[in-house]
Amino acid sequence: MNYQEQNISANNFEDCIKCTICTVYCPVTPFNPNYPGPKQAGPDGERYRLKKPYFYDEALKYCLNCKRCEVACPSNVKIGDIIQSARIKYTKSKPSLRDTMLANTDFVGTMSSAFAPIVNATLKLKPVKMVLDSVMKIDEHRQFPSYSSQKFTSWYKKEAASVQDSFPNHVSYFHGCYVQYNYPQLGKDLVAVMNAVGYGVHLLEKERCCGVAKISNRLVKEATRDANINLASIRKSVEQSRVVLGTSSTCTFTMRDEYPHLLHIDNADVRDDIMLATRFLFKLVDEGSVKLVFRKDFHKRIAYHTPCHMEKLGWSVYSTSLLKMIPGLDFVPLDSVCCGIAGTYGFKKENYKYSQEIGSALFQQILSERVDSVATDCETCKWQIEMSTGVPVENPISVIAQALDIEATKKANHVNI
Amino acid sequence: MDNKFGKKHYDVIVIGGGATGAGTARDCAMRGLKTLLVERFDFTAGATGRNHGLLHSGARYAVTDQESATECIKENMILRRIARHCVEDTGGLFVTLPEDDLDYQKNFVDACLKAGISAEVLDPKEALLIEPAVNKDIIGAVRVPDGAIDPFRLTVANVVSARRDGADVLTYHEVTGFERDQNRLVGVRLRDTRSGEESVEYADLMINAGGIWGHHIAELAGVKINMFPAKGALLIFGHRVNDVVINRCRKPADADILVPGDTISLIGTTSTRLPYDQIDNMEVTPEEVDILLREGIKIAPSLAYTRILRAYAGVRPLVASDNDPSGRTISRGIVCLDHATRDGLEGFITITGGKLMTYRLMAEWATDLACKKLGRTAKCQTAETPLPGSEMDKTFGTKEHKKSHIIELSTEQKAAEGRHGSLSEQIEYKTEDDEALVCECEQVSVGEIKYAIEHLHVGNLINLRRRTRMGMGTCQGELCACRAAGIMVNYNKCAERTLRDLSSFINERWKGMYPVSWGETLVEGQFMSWLYEGVCGIDQLARPEDLIDAK
Amino acid sequence: MKYDTIIIGGGMSGLVAGIRLRKAGQKVAIVSTGQSALHFNSGSIALLGHEHGHDIKKPLEAIERLKPEHPYSKLGIDNVRKYVGEVAPLFAEAGITLHGSAERNHYRLTPIGMFKPAWLSFEGYATVDDPKNIEWGKVLIVNLAGFIDFYPQFIELGLSKYGIECSSRTFILPGLETLRKSATEMRATNIARVLKDEVILEMASQINSYIKDTNADTVLLPAILGLYDENPIRLLKSKVVRPVHLVSTMPMSVGGMRAQMSLRKYFMKLGGTYLIGDKVTMGRFENDRLVSVNTQNLGDMPLEADSFILATGSFFSHGLEANPTSIYEPIFGLDVVASANRPEWCDMDIYKDQNYMEFGVVNDNDFHVYRDGKRISNFMAVGAVLSGCNSMKEESGGGVSLLTSIKVADDILNGKGGKK
Repeated sequence: MNYQEQNISANNFEDCIKCTICTVYCPVTPFNPNYPGPKQAGPDGERYRLKKPYFYDEALKYCLNCKRCEVACPSNVKIGDIIQSARIKYTKSKPSLRDTMLANTDFVGTMSSAFAPIVNATLKLKPVKMVLDSVMKIDEHRQFPSYSSQKFTSWYKKEAASVQDSFPNHVSYFHGCYVQYNYPQLGKDLVAVMNAVGYGVHLLEKERCCGVAKISNRLVKEATRDANINLASIRKSVEQSRVVLGTSSTCTFTMRDEYPHLLHIDNADVRDDIMLATRFLFKLVDEGSVKLVFRKDFHKRIAYHTPCHMEKLGWSVYSTSLLKMIPGLDFVPLDSVCCGIAGTYGFKKENYKYSQEIGSALFQQILSERVDSVATDCETCKWQIEMSTGVPVENPISVIAQALDIEATKKANHVNI
Repeated sequence: MDNKFGKKHYDVIVIGGGATGAGTARDCAMRGLKTLLVERFDFTAGATGRNHGLLHSGARYAVTDQESATECIKENMILRRIARHCVEDTGGLFVTLPEDDLDYQKNFVDACLKAGISAEVLDPKEALLIEPAVNKDIIGAVRVPDGAIDPFRLTVANVVSARRDGADVLTYHEVTGFERDQNRLVGVRLRDTRSGEESVEYADLMINAGGIWGHHIAELAGVKINMFPAKGALLIFGHRVNDVVINRCRKPADADILVPGDTISLIGTTSTRLPYDQIDNMEVTPEEVDILLREGIKIAPSLAYTRILRAYAGVRPLVASDNDPSGRTISRGIVCLDHATRDGLEGFITITGGKLMTYRLMAEWATDLACKKLGRTAKCQTAETPLPGSEMDKTFGTKEHKKSHIIELSTEQKAAEGRHGSLSEQIEYKTEDDEALVCECEQVSVGEIKYAIEHLHVGNLINLRRRTRMGMGTCQGELCACRAAGIMVNYNKCAERTLRDLSSFINERWKGMYPVSWGETLVEGQFMSWLYEGVCGIDQLARPEDLIDAK
Repeated sequence: MKYDTIIIGGGMSGLVAGIRLRKAGQKVAIVSTGQSALHFNSGSIALLGHEHGHDIKKPLEAIERLKPEHPYSKLGIDNVRKYVGEVAPLFAEAGITLHGSAERNHYRLTPIGMFKPAWLSFEGYATVDDPKNIEWGKVLIVNLAGFIDFYPQFIELGLSKYGIECSSRTFILPGLETLRKSATEMRATNIARVLKDEVILEMASQINSYIKDTNADTVLLPAILGLYDENPIRLLKSKVVRPVHLVSTMPMSVGGMRAQMSLRKYFMKLGGTYLIGDKVTMGRFENDRLVSVNTQNLGDMPLEADSFILATGSFFSHGLEANPTSIYEPIFGLDVVASANRPEWCDMDIYKDQNYMEFGVVNDNDFHVYRDGKRISNFMAVGAVLSGCNSMKEESGGGVSLLTSIKVADDILNGKGGKK
């Protein structure tokens, strides 16, 4: 007999055995009583929504989409996906101007970069923040990341592009909105590190925002359009045997997993070729195909924070293993908990308070560890931790770039460019 | 009026707390008869609570039994009016599979139309649009006005209505015999099935509405009705696989109806004759489970990978025609017997046969006969008067009962509204604690549990489950049973009884799970054992005699 | 990625084995699909509590009477005696205090007021040496308003059977207002997440006033504090004027979750790699050895090791799975001890012996697993995935997990685990 053979039901929410483990690992529930919790919002609610869409609860908007419930679930239920899919499918309200603005990180970024000094100054002004707060419902306490006056791609074309073809090996780089508009230095660091081990770094033919902010603000049509553009470019890159690297855990996670799960775009042909730079680099070192030579004069005490989407990817082992290779680095692991920002979530006035409460345990741990900096793979975690603790936060790639003896590494890998 | 024993004297005593008994009690009470309803266990404990929950259009009987089909469609239309909160207008499809004979469809449609049932032949593609869960390979489809009906709510609504009109109700009272005065029955002897205490109640007329158990009640009265128990097994799936009732368009056979009911879907049934002495031992066999799945998957392929919550079986009472005591001629229609004319026994009538769909009509026939015998002239109004909970006028739903901190209704309040209709306004959310969820799968709050305990004849956890759906969801009571017991004990003040009740409730849940104990259902079972036996040690309290309700 | 030992399953068994190996200098990785069954712990760990339905007083003596295929019998009584003493010190290093002795079982008070035999109990839980001789005097049972996973009436009934006089009080704690508003999240572990210093002091003064009212000698409280460490329990005890004991609640278990988190933290502090939320998808076998495993998250980078430990638990944790026709080990398709006949898996009465509880992977005297009838020389199973015992009926789950883990870890260190 061939019925019920598969233990994994096609209705993943039914794998939930109601053990409630997820609820204890949800960062939101202890602080926001209006959020029904992952079990209710996810598998329990799904049965009722299947009965009638009327049972959809608008309070699902309080979900951070951190996926920590999924990581904790012993039955492999895609709780976070169920919640986000329900938001996309059932909610009746239209995304507000504020949500649309926050979600369009690339458009806003383009505009802001052009006028970076003005925008940076303006966003810091008290009256502007008050307006943002009262009109846009963006919390006045929130510090905006500053915008860079030179976009990453402008730098790349001017300073880096010409030599990349001459390296023996090649990768593509999905820089993301943050590197492009706010912090090109991370992109420069990646180029430096990869070049040092003999890899030329190339841009994708076309790159749009990965879509994470649009998805969480329910701008699904726009996110789908961007995703398809990105995937087309990624496919071209893969055809040329160039793996696509990211330096943001969230962008990477979104393109690998949220595209198929939430936007229902099939990326199976290229999913394994989209990865974090730290994973790629670790693999090369682990295989013995490249060597990293670190500077003797690098001394830093660095704590590592696992971003939620990194926890979900299960890849912090790569970033931390690389950091632990640095001889002068005093490595401090932090408890893997959410910092509270969750992308655009923490910018919204209605969430600001919860956002800071959620992160408070992490902030205290960071402050008590007395570190020089915090390393983490996510840019929004960086904003949140820097704003809330005053401790500088760096991407592991940037830490490696600082610690790496570039010339010695090039030599060790027989790179003479 | 009290009789010579200082006890209340009733006009009628209705025996049996299924839909028919409750409906008869309602009809009698509405016509001004002093009524007592007695039930040996809980309402809906028999066949009423163990069927498909299908609001038949009658189409299923159209080819084989025009009379039943006609009754069904009439009652279908009436129930949509009077029992709105128990009915869901899903519509129904009769689909023809490649292995079935498409010629049957024409006979079927003709027979439906003849019985007054609308039957619209659809292109199979259109049927798939209406109900995507249907097998893509179907070669024919007919749309009929089937629906879903919740027999638990329906029965309780009838009880609430009867009580409003002055009826008394005794659950957990089994009829052990009758009081006689020569060739007339004048009362019933009762035994409290929980305490064992015996008592007598008097009335001018006893109405036997005991379903298959009516066979035995008739024997106690000294008359013989030939009933044949037919067992039907069903499977409950974890969520709504389909939103439209799916029937197989062929001569009625095993597992050819898939009904969406509240949060779940049900496939059934099988049909096996069983000896009368087995009617209280309903076990679903592995063979029955296999048949239900094998056939069910043919109509809705996704059943092959949908979680099964439990299996259960009920008994249909098939009544042999009086002119054929051998039992070969079986009537599925309503049988209303005046034992005075049939057997020379005064004061006793039996209402049986029929089906859930025709419970109201059965009640009407029985009450008509009762009135005739008692010399009353009141007319039946049950076809027009909505049941309590379905009295939804324009103001329903406008009354504010919001949570203190959320703008819209919470999921549990929406769910409670669905379950109790307009009666849900009686659920009180006095504090935040009343909003806390007891049953997370079926969204039952502390407030709703308290309402059920206070107003709906709840003496134990099984009663509570039937009134609220607590423990009927995915986890089958593993989280909520203990919480509900914690609330119950505040009312009954007996921790010992409540704990034993809890232990038997858990066992009753498991009884439906073990025939389908694979996949997540076995996992759930292990989790249940860990919690209740492992962590709590409740097995030390388990007593076989506590299982009376769990049969 | 190359390790000395890879452990599949990150619950109590996997962590204990991992800690032991790591302490001996091995490079160890644990792959865990999600959080573990330890989250449903009763507040205690049992070694052997029941025999033919009767409570066992001296578990070590009873172990010698077990059937030969039982994991304890395979360990041998000498090993059992040796290893039972190593558990509490190992937990203590991880910051978990355990009370009790293997020589003689004590009793724990269950959430519904029953007493069950136990070997080791977590800090603060209500235990007695003998229910017939409870030295608590007058008992005050305290509960929080709106907490529906704790049942003072049932506990009162249970204690009254042993002649203990009880009174109970319910109070509102200001620090919990936010949680109380949530319809679903007023659960033990969520309460423990927010019960911090000031709230505990407030709680203590409330309890003290009830003690005054009732003249109670002992206080029982639901186990709702001490999620991350034992300090909140100690703080409360130090501020309440009478002895306070915690009674386990319906899930989640605060004590169990604390144990899980502490063991994991300790393992990671020792330098172990813990991959949570990841799932082993397949293994590569060469002759009689498991060479490497692949996981969902790590994709094309297999985890290689000299030795492997299967600590995936029972059905609940998906160490075993069932479909209508068979019971199987889902990751590697290892040989299992299980009936192929579905009706034999379960009994209709949930409180009777359930055969499925005894199902598990085939294993030899050193717990090596088998695949297609062939012994895998560097792959051992520990804990609930083992066949040969009905830990529910015997009250032996915790002991089997701990002792088999220690034994297998030691075998690996002694080169008996198939090191090349």
